[in-house]
Amino acid sequence: MRSEVDVRWLPALVLGLALVACASPPQPTPDLLAPDDAQMNLRNMQTRSFDLTDRNQALRGVIAALQDLGFIIERANEPLGLVTGARFAEPRWTDVVGITVTVRPQEGGKMLIRANAIFNNEPITDPQIYQNFFATLERSMFIGRN
Amino acid sequence: MPTTTRSSERTARAHAGRWARLAALLAGAALLAGCVAQPKPEELFRLSPESPAHQAVQTRRFETSNETELLSASAAVLQDLGYQITESVRELGFLRAAKERSARQYGQEIGRFLLFVVSTLGLASGSNTLILLPVDLHQQINASLVTRRLDADGSRHEVRILFYRIVWKSDGTSGNQWIAPGEQKLQMIRDPEVYQQFFARLSKAVFLEAHKI
Repeated sequence: MRSEVDVRWLPALVLGLALVACASPPQPTPDLLAPDDAQMNLRNMQTRSFDLTDRNQALRGVIAALQDLGFIIERANEPLGLVTGARFAEPRWTDVVGITVTVRPQEGGKMLIRANAIFNNEPITDPQIYQNFFATLERSMFIGRN
Repeated sequence: MPTTTRSSERTARAHAGRWARLAALLAGAALLAGCVAQPKPEELFRLSPESPAHQAVQTRRFETSNETELLSASAAVLQDLGYQITESVRELGFLRAAKERSARQYGQEIGRFLLFVVSTLGLASGSNTLILLPVDLHQQINASLVTRRLDADGSRHEVRILFYRIVWKSDGTSGNQWIAPGEQKLQMIRDPEVYQQFFARLSKAVFLEAHKI
């Protein structure tokens, strides 16, 4: 008697399981790797365009600005337009601020400068900090130093 | 007799209370100091008030139009001072150099020994606080140098150099705890004499090389 009931339910159970199995792997949506708003905002605040055509001059300006800010220039690559620097967050010697700046020429005589900064291996996402950096950069790039 | 014991007990307790309060106060102060020293985000990437002074110490100008010569002379001076060049980019006038040295100091070693003796005495009297302070063992002194054109016609260049060091500490003991060796400490070198020494040699080298031909 009891086994009959079980048998009657079995096909339904199998079908249900099959359905669940079919539905369970989540299908990746087309925008899975598309940038979200937070990413776009971060990129916007990390990037600024300058009225410059000479990439070498822009790179040297970046290096001078980083030195003014007390950074140790660690690596530089002229063909790729790349500068990496680091600094201790004085007066605490245990905290380290790191930055990578890329310089890329754009169409129409513009130079795109992007800065990525980290504080103790954590990305800095405060827009104010990037504004500070670009303010210093503008100063050391355009104000004559005699 | 009993009164004196009680009163001495009371004073002892009062002493203990005072010490506890002092310790709490110190801990609080340390916490506060920790909060104060934490750099505020809006201060990062802003020029510090000391920045012009640092720049003055780290920078010299040279009446030369030959940047490459200035750079190679800088490399030669760093080599003379015992550094190994670890990175160089001529297009940007950039050099990095390093040298490894011992960082042992008599003062630290003596302090470590005295504290060890004192803690051993404590060990004899029953408390379990054997202390062996970690001392500075090894250091890497680094230099990061950049040359830069000053005028549009390129008749003058400046050289800016930054010295800093990384110090590795030895092992130690604190009570039952063993402190592993290899703790790192990073430090900027701000002593103006180090910079003066470098630039004195560099100006000599540039002068000689400028008149070589």
